[in-house]
Amino acid sequence: MSKLAMQLSRLLVALVTAALALSTIQAKPLNVPVVYYKLPNGLKVVISEDHVAPVVTVAVYYNVGFRVEPKGRTGFAHLFEHMMFQGSANVKKFEHAKFVEANGGNLNGHTDFDYTNYFETLPSNRVEMGLWLESDRMRSLDISAENLKNQQNVVSEEIRVNVLNQPYQLFEWIDLWENAFTNWNNSHNGYGDLAEVNAATIDDVRSFFKTYYAPNNAVLTIAGDVDVNEVKQMVEKHFARIPAQPSPPAPNLAEPPQTKEKKVAQTDKLANMPALATGYHLPAQNSPDFPAMALLVQILQGDDSSRWFQRLVKDKELTLDLSGGLNYFGNEFDYSGPMIMTTRATYKPGHTADEVVKEMDGVVAELVQKGVSDKELADAKVRFRSSLYNQVESSFGKAHLLSCLALFRDDPNQINHLLDPFDKVTADQIKAAARKYLVAENRTVIDRVPQAKEQKADAKGGN
Amino acid sequence: MIRTKPKQPLFALAAATLVLTSVIAASAQQKTPPAPGAARPLNLPKITERKLSNGLTVVLAPLPNVPKVTTILTFRAAGTADDREKHPGIAQIAAGVANEGTDTRTSKQIKEELRSIGGSLGLGSDADSTSISASALSEFSTRMFALLSDVAQHASFPEAELKLAKENTIQRIHAGRADPGFLVGERFQKAVFGNHPYAFVVPDEKSINALSREDLKGFVATYYVPNIAHLIVVGDIDPEKTFAEIEKAFGSWKSGATPAEDNPPVPTRAKRQIYFVNRPGSIQSAIYIGNVSIPRKDKDYFSLRTADTILGGSFYSRLTRNIREDKGYTYSPFTASNTQATSGSYVAGAFVRNEVTGPTLLEIFYELDRMRVLPVTDEELKAAKEYSNGNFSIELASQSGLAGRINTIYTYNLSKDFISDFRAKIDALTPGDIEKAAAKYFDTYHAAIVIVGDWEKVKDQVTPFGEVTIYDAEGNVISK
Repeated sequence: MSKLAMQLSRLLVALVTAALALSTIQAKPLNVPVVYYKLPNGLKVVISEDHVAPVVTVAVYYNVGFRVEPKGRTGFAHLFEHMMFQGSANVKKFEHAKFVEANGGNLNGHTDFDYTNYFETLPSNRVEMGLWLESDRMRSLDISAENLKNQQNVVSEEIRVNVLNQPYQLFEWIDLWENAFTNWNNSHNGYGDLAEVNAATIDDVRSFFKTYYAPNNAVLTIAGDVDVNEVKQMVEKHFARIPAQPSPPAPNLAEPPQTKEKKVAQTDKLANMPALATGYHLPAQNSPDFPAMALLVQILQGDDSSRWFQRLVKDKELTLDLSGGLNYFGNEFDYSGPMIMTTRATYKPGHTADEVVKEMDGVVAELVQKGVSDKELADAKVRFRSSLYNQVESSFGKAHLLSCLALFRDDPNQINHLLDPFDKVTADQIKAAARKYLVAENRTVIDRVPQAKEQKADAKGGN
Repeated sequence: MIRTKPKQPLFALAAATLVLTSVIAASAQQKTPPAPGAARPLNLPKITERKLSNGLTVVLAPLPNVPKVTTILTFRAAGTADDREKHPGIAQIAAGVANEGTDTRTSKQIKEELRSIGGSLGLGSDADSTSISASALSEFSTRMFALLSDVAQHASFPEAELKLAKENTIQRIHAGRADPGFLVGERFQKAVFGNHPYAFVVPDEKSINALSREDLKGFVATYYVPNIAHLIVVGDIDPEKTFAEIEKAFGSWKSGATPAEDNPPVPTRAKRQIYFVNRPGSIQSAIYIGNVSIPRKDKDYFSLRTADTILGGSFYSRLTRNIREDKGYTYSPFTASNTQATSGSYVAGAFVRNEVTGPTLLEIFYELDRMRVLPVTDEELKAAKEYSNGNFSIELASQSGLAGRINTIYTYNLSKDFISDFRAKIDALTPGDIEKAAAKYFDTYHAAIVIVGDWEKVKDQVTPFGEVTIYDAEGNVISK
């Protein structure tokens, strides 16, 4: 080897080493393949092909959540979700589950603030089974009074097991939303009042199906070990002839700004320990304040290192726990209407909710005054990225995010650039967001104490 | 005996109208389910096993679905009978406090380091083992291993952290005693396992308060040692490079004496018995019915697992079809086969409104007995096999799923070919195998029936099923 060649070679080694060193400290970006198009009937279709494992998720997201269910019918969107498993023209009652499981898959559905989804994860050579099942119920749901009665019973038990027979009864969702919001669409109990769930009629089911369960009001996502061109043909075959329906009316979700703090005192017949929940109205997702606010939520309560956790659980030993986040059911991307940041804590006997709130306010005041350190901000961004990767790790998680981006933004390709606005957030923006949104007049506080404790307090003459 | 009857829509006219409106559109609709395509390659992960000189087993499995890495470090012993008698709950409290401080890091520094690497780190313990699970962005794997190693070797149990953890554990258990799900699970473990260590769920206040810092340091010095541990690493890794990182982080860890094997006798139940936890004000009865079953390594593992899938372990199971989809008694009925090192349990459960407590008991016993005395159909068995095989692939496609599965293999000393042999074992099962397992393990004659509910409201529906012992939420016997 000549001297020059040797030098070049050394240089190359150095360059390669530098590149390697660089690559070990640089964030690895997401690279999710996305094919996106619409059928003539308006159905949005997202396909994401990868071959990590021989599995695929087929998901249908309908643009209807419990915010838009009719008045007098709380819990109806969720009851309807159950009806989607009660059979269609070619699939008998509950056979949806049979077909999916007997083909090696699993399935579920979920009703959220702004969407209702249905999904099955299958061995990838069974992808067409998922498409056929979803198309059959989108086109020809079979609705019978007997099945409605059966599912009213099932949903009633679901509400009993998850809400009514539980200590706290999900007050950090149901009661907090009822108090924090003024527009009924946003404030009402999405799990539903038992009497209203059981008052639903077969005509309600039929009309809801016709209004909201049309291809032009839905997204179909296929994520996993498939061939895009083959899947496109299957989608065409099973979905293209399902007729579009008139677009449902846009719901009024407008929420007047809150101007005064709301405080609610509750007693709990089943709980042994007192708890509190707080909710702060958040800026809209398209507001320039949103990315900073999302990171601020991480900084305050994202994990055990967060400021509120450290203050309440560790330093002051006021609460047993601290939970909550930006979207009670999901993340920054899977809702579209008005939202509150929620926080829930079980606090220790001998203390009061006011003490806890005072400490939370103290943390915010400090943050508004001194801001956050560069490291704290950088860490929040790392944490945010890591959570996003967790989300897209499974074929279902990926399908979920792609579906929401298609449903709410008409742009699933954003999946590979979702972090950009969050990565640009500055420490000053965090400070400004805290000052603007984390104020008493923007919040609702519920203090929920065991009933017996309240009686004791009464006996002593109360506070 | 067939109990379900065919359904007739009540509003036939209305239903017919709906079908009519969709006839035109439905003309192109495929009436029968599509056939599967050609089977796709399984892409089973390439798993390699290495050993450090201190005895730590290292298992590496690349799964680069996202730029993250997921690990489980398991100590395959969690306490001998001696420890359990002297210090009930010591393994749990040690697991709860080990990540609240090391010789060189405070609790807060640990949490902040995790935040910086997009990571998580948590400990959990059961009667067989203690595990530390950790994850991070893969670009920070070196820092994750360093932290994991520090917690595993140098937990310092600071007095203030221990004091807070003890107080909080006591209060958390107190809070949990309001939750019917916690109460039914706790009473079930006690009812099924009697004097076996698996009966232990949570320690009482006195045991928690009795634990000292020295006890905990002694406990981890004995049991958190590399020669009885395995480290499973899954994710966006290069096995060679990752192994070098692990060697650096864990290589100087000293091995310890191997703790004595602890093989307590497996309990047997003499009769059917009802354990009722009275929770006044309950509007549902939380019901668990079950019995002792098998250890994880038992030869009947696959047949019991598959019997479970058919009875209540999948959504389209017999139990769900019966008491949910036909009768509407409950939202989420289930059955589960829980197997550990020396024994296991089988459970069928449902949370039902007070009014149908008795009818639900009847139906669960009916379904258990039907499995015992009648063979499953070929169609049911074929579906259960597909379900198991397909969902096994789905499980292996996630980092935590794959890591958890490999961890089970090493924790219970299963065949190293468990993953590659899984399909063949499932596919070999016959209806006879299922019936035999059901007859043996769905032992309704000696079952424990655990109910958490409002005794005054449901007692008349419960007493016909057997002798009752009534407990309060704290576990005290109220009456026999």
